[in-house]
Amino acid sequence: MIKGLNIKESAQGGLIASTYMGYSLVFWIFPFVWLLILTFSDWQFIGTPSFSGLDNFFNVIQDPLFWKSMKNVFRFLMYYLPMVIFASLFFALGLKKIKYGKSFIALSFLLANVSSGVAYSIVFSKLFSDTGPINDFMNSVFGFTIPWFTNPDFAMFSIAIVITWKFVGYYGLIFYSGLVSIPKEIYDAAELDQTGPVKRLFKITLPLMNAQIIMVVVLAITVAFGIFTEPYLITGGGPLESTTTPMVVMYEAAFQRMEPSWAATMSIFVAIISFGLIWLLRKLFEKNIEIV
Amino acid sequence: MKKMSLSSIAIHAVMLLLALSWLYPYIWMVLSSLKDTADIYSTGLFEGPFSFDNYIFLFDGSERVERPFLRTLFNSFFISISVTLSVTISSAFIGYALAKMKFRGQGLFKNFLIIQMVFPAFMFIIPQFLLIREFNLINTYSALIIPFLMSGWGIFMVSQSFKGTPNDYIHAAKLDHANMWKILVHVMMPLNKSILAIVALFTFTGVWDNFLWPLIVMQEVEKMPLSVLLANFSKSYGVYVGPVLAGSVVQTLPIVVLFIAFRKYFLQGMSLSLK
Repeated sequence: MIKGLNIKESAQGGLIASTYMGYSLVFWIFPFVWLLILTFSDWQFIGTPSFSGLDNFFNVIQDPLFWKSMKNVFRFLMYYLPMVIFASLFFALGLKKIKYGKSFIALSFLLANVSSGVAYSIVFSKLFSDTGPINDFMNSVFGFTIPWFTNPDFAMFSIAIVITWKFVGYYGLIFYSGLVSIPKEIYDAAELDQTGPVKRLFKITLPLMNAQIIMVVVLAITVAFGIFTEPYLITGGGPLESTTTPMVVMYEAAFQRMEPSWAATMSIFVAIISFGLIWLLRKLFEKNIEIV
Repeated sequence: MKKMSLSSIAIHAVMLLLALSWLYPYIWMVLSSLKDTADIYSTGLFEGPFSFDNYIFLFDGSERVERPFLRTLFNSFFISISVTLSVTISSAFIGYALAKMKFRGQGLFKNFLIIQMVFPAFMFIIPQFLLIREFNLINTYSALIIPFLMSGWGIFMVSQSFKGTPNDYIHAAKLDHANMWKILVHVMMPLNKSILAIVALFTFTGVWDNFLWPLIVMQEVEKMPLSVLLANFSKSYGVYVGPVLAGSVVQTLPIVVLFIAFRKYFLQGMSLSLK
C-alpha cells in the first residue's frame, strides 16, 4: 500500500518537474546551443549559418569597439565601487545609530532600488541637463555648471552617480545585516582597551564584515557588466563613445548592424571576463572569518 | 523619554536630509509633471501653477502623435500580471515537487536550477530572439510573455521555503484524502504566504521594468509595454519635458504603490537574497 503510493508520487513529482525541464529545453538549452553555433559561424539573420571557425573570436578581439566597451566597464567600476561602497557603509552605520524614523529612512533609500529604469533614466537626464535644477543650483552656489552627461570625461561618472543612487539602499541593507551580527562584546572590549572610533572601524567592523563587502563587490561587478537602459536612454553611448557599455555594443551589433554572430561571440567574452574578475576578487580578498 | 545626545540629534538630522535627497528625484519628477513645460526649469520646486494638463495630453491627446499611452499602460498590466500569475503558480507546484516529493533525478534538477541562475541573462538575448523569430512571434504579446512563464529562481525560492514546513501537515492532509492540489491550496500556500508574495512581487516589478527585451521583439506601438513607448517618446519628443515626466510618473507609480503596500515582503525578499 505504502509502496504503491510512493511509486505514484514519484511519477507525479517527476511529471511536474519535467514540465519545467521541457520549458527550459525550449527557452534555455536550445538558445544556449544556438549561442554556441552562432559563435562558430558567419550569419546575418538569413539563410543557413556557414561554419567560420574561430573567425568571430578574432573579429571581436580586433574590434576597437569591444575594447572601448571593456575599458568603459572598468572606468565605470573605478567610479562606482568606491562611491557605492562608501555611501552604503555610511548608510548602514547611520541606520544603526538611528532611533526615530528608522523605517522611513530605510524605505526612502530602498525606493530607489525598485524604481523603473526607463523612468529614472529620463528623470536624471532632465535633472542633470545643462539647464536643469542641479546645474542651476551649482551655478548659484559655486558660480559654474558641470556638463554631467555631455562631456566625455564626466558622462560615465554621472552614470555611476545614477546607479549609486539606485543601489545604496540595497547594498546598505546587506552591510546593515553584517553590522548587527557583530557581537557587542567585541566593542566593549575595544573600549576597555581605549581603541578610538576610527581604529574600531578599520580594525574591527570592516574586517568582520568581509563577507558582506565581498558580496556587495560581486553584485556591483555583475551590475556593471549588464548596464544598458541608463546609457541607452541618457547618453546613447556617447559622447565620443565614453559610455558605450558592452550591452549597448552587443545590442547595436546584433540588431542595428545585423551581426548576431559577432554579438553572440562578444557575449561569451563578456561573461568570461566578468566571471574571471569576480573569481580573482574572491581569491584575493575573501577571508573565512569566525567569531568565537 | 530620555534626552537625546547632541551627536545623536546630528546623526538623525544628517540621515533625514540624506533620505530626502534620495527621494528628491521622485519629488522633482512628480511636481514637475504637474507644471507647464516652460515653467519646469524656470520655477522653484514648490512654485506653481500646477495642473494635470500633461496627464490629459498623455492619455487624451497623445493619439495624435501616435503614442497611445493609455493602451500601452494596459499592455504593461496585462503582460506583467500574466507572467506573475504563471510564475507564481508554476513555482508553487514545481517547488512543492522539489521540496516534498521524491522523484528520479531530483538532485540533478536542483543543480540545473542553480546552474541556470549562474549564467548571465545577456548571453541568452540574441538566441532567444532567434527562437521567437523562428516561432513567428515577433510583434505579438506572446513574445513578451512566453519566454518568462516559468522561473528557475522562483522554483528555487519556493522550494527552499516549502522545505521548512513540517511533513506532519502534509501527512495529516493525506489522511484526509487530500490530493496534491488541495494540499497546495489549503496547507502549503497559506503556510508559505510570504515567499509566494515575494516571488510574485519581484516577478511583477521585474517584468514591468523590463526594457531591453520588449525593445527588441516589439515594434508595434499598439502592443508595446509602457516602458518602451515612454523611452521612444522621450527620444523623439524629449523637449516636451512635461508630458515625458508625466509618463515617467505613470511608469513608476504602480511599482511604488506595490512597494509601499507590501514593504514587509520586499524587505524580506531582499534579505532572503543575502543568504
